[in-house]
Amino acid sequence: MNNLRTNTEKLSDSILWSQLRVGDEEAFSLLFERYYSPLVNYGKTLMSEGDIVKDCVQDVFVDIWTYRSKLNEAIAVKAYLLSSVRKRIARHHEREHIFSKVKDVDSLEFLFDFSIEDRLIADEIMATKVGHLNRLINDLPARQKEALYLRYHQGLPVEQVAEVLNMNYQSTKNLLHRAILQLRKDFPIPILTLFMELSLNY
Amino acid sequence: MQNRNSYKKIEDFLSDESFQRWVRHKEDPTHWEEWTLESTERAKLVEEARLWILAMKVEETEISIQETRFALQKTWGSIAESNKPSPIKAIWQATWFRSAAAILLFTFSTIAYFAIKSGITTNTTITYQELIEKDSDGLIEQTNNSDKPQLITLSDASSVLLQPKSKLSYPKTFKGNERKVYLSGEGFFEVSKDPKKPFYVYANETVTKVYGTSFRVIAFANQPNVEVLVRTGKVKVSSNIEVENATTKEVMLLPNQAARFVRKKLLFEKILDITQDKPLLATTNPIEQLSFEFKDIPVSQIFRTIEQGYLITIDFPTEKLKDCYLTTSLSDEPLPEKLKIICESLGNNTRYEMNGNHIIIISNGCN
Repeated sequence: MNNLRTNTEKLSDSILWSQLRVGDEEAFSLLFERYYSPLVNYGKTLMSEGDIVKDCVQDVFVDIWTYRSKLNEAIAVKAYLLSSVRKRIARHHEREHIFSKVKDVDSLEFLFDFSIEDRLIADEIMATKVGHLNRLINDLPARQKEALYLRYHQGLPVEQVAEVLNMNYQSTKNLLHRAILQLRKDFPIPILTLFMELSLNY
Repeated sequence: MQNRNSYKKIEDFLSDESFQRWVRHKEDPTHWEEWTLESTERAKLVEEARLWILAMKVEETEISIQETRFALQKTWGSIAESNKPSPIKAIWQATWFRSAAAILLFTFSTIAYFAIKSGITTNTTITYQELIEKDSDGLIEQTNNSDKPQLITLSDASSVLLQPKSKLSYPKTFKGNERKVYLSGEGFFEVSKDPKKPFYVYANETVTKVYGTSFRVIAFANQPNVEVLVRTGKVKVSSNIEVENATTKEVMLLPNQAARFVRKKLLFEKILDITQDKPLLATTNPIEQLSFEFKDIPVSQIFRTIEQGYLITIDFPTEKLKDCYLTTSLSDEPLPEKLKIICESLGNNTRYEMNGNHIIIISNGCN
């Protein structure tokens, strides 16, 4: 095992980022290894051709290294990477559709469907409820779904979700809130009984 | 993250990583379960948040570390590709310039083609002698005229096994922000880790850059190729900047990969798996075949393995160390580091002394 590698494993994104900016290849490689898989997975929610997604992610890193001296020091690395991948895929779409219709970053469609955590479903009543909620979530407008994905799956704070989606903070906050509010109205649960059933399982 | 006692909305729970882990994986170091049961109001919210998490599973396939590393390497390749100097755009867009450039390019490439074909390489071969003459740092030169590999320990505790008929030049101590050595012939390098000071091996037309790994360089003045084989870590091989018209400027290598620089053609061939390349495999040295991964092994046997690998002798108090067993991984360490790790693991003020190819272990037995 390479010790340098294991020691730096724990280094924070921002430390690696600032080392990368001054030309540290090891820092670049570590960030690449840390984020390649999640970025490809995110890219696949926006474009179904996996190979092109991989190329796009790699291109993002090529640009980062090439323009490293011009990179901003104070950024949230993960949000920056996600947003760069998004732009790259939008650009790819643009080129593909240049003769039909022009797509921009904002009209890039989130294609992903959330699934159900089957192994944690205890009984039929619960299965029905979760299934119903899952359908409602997947029927949300693509943009709201993507906001939910970035906020709760990628774990980005609201302001970074805003950055990736190229929106301002308040509208992103509203977007996220509306999604949940809307569904709670559509989805009244007799909470107490349900809770008692569940607590028996623990 | 705000205090969970102030959680009022489902959103608060959904964005709490430890809450997600509790729901998904039943990991509960912060006692969500007890906390939930403290109030009915709370229990309602928690239950609803649970349903949300169950209904919002994200199924994705994680990309393996091998594939990631492969992609990383491809990316370094594209970076090298895109960093090739290109003419300034504005001029390039002018038609007259393009035609002129095309004609020039054609002329030059024809000349270059015939020049290479007829074997005129006077301007492109770089010899060991030229390299060391340029270095002003007062180098020490060691030549191995014997018929056995010879061990050299450098000032930064890196070790080199120099093969017969080979020469290595290096400074007495490394100064400044880099470590540079010059090789003619063949050597196996185990470089001590120092991310702030890259280690360079200049060998004929190639430069190998590392931070701390092990690898072998074969660069005889009278042979057609220069070869670099990587055992551990990551290595970058590039052509010496003096070789301006080399086709491939650099190659990134991972363990068990190799690069072959074809001197006449000035290009790199990359060998993705050393074990598939017969000519390279035939020249493997004992040190590269030995495993330095030890699991509950008598320390006397570990010393014997090191003796074989580095062709040195190790004297140690046999009786005092007869009941000492070690589990340790020494594959990626230069010799002084290997000895240091063993001595530290044995404890009891164990230390070593190194006199050329002769090592003495001073020990009162292990803990």
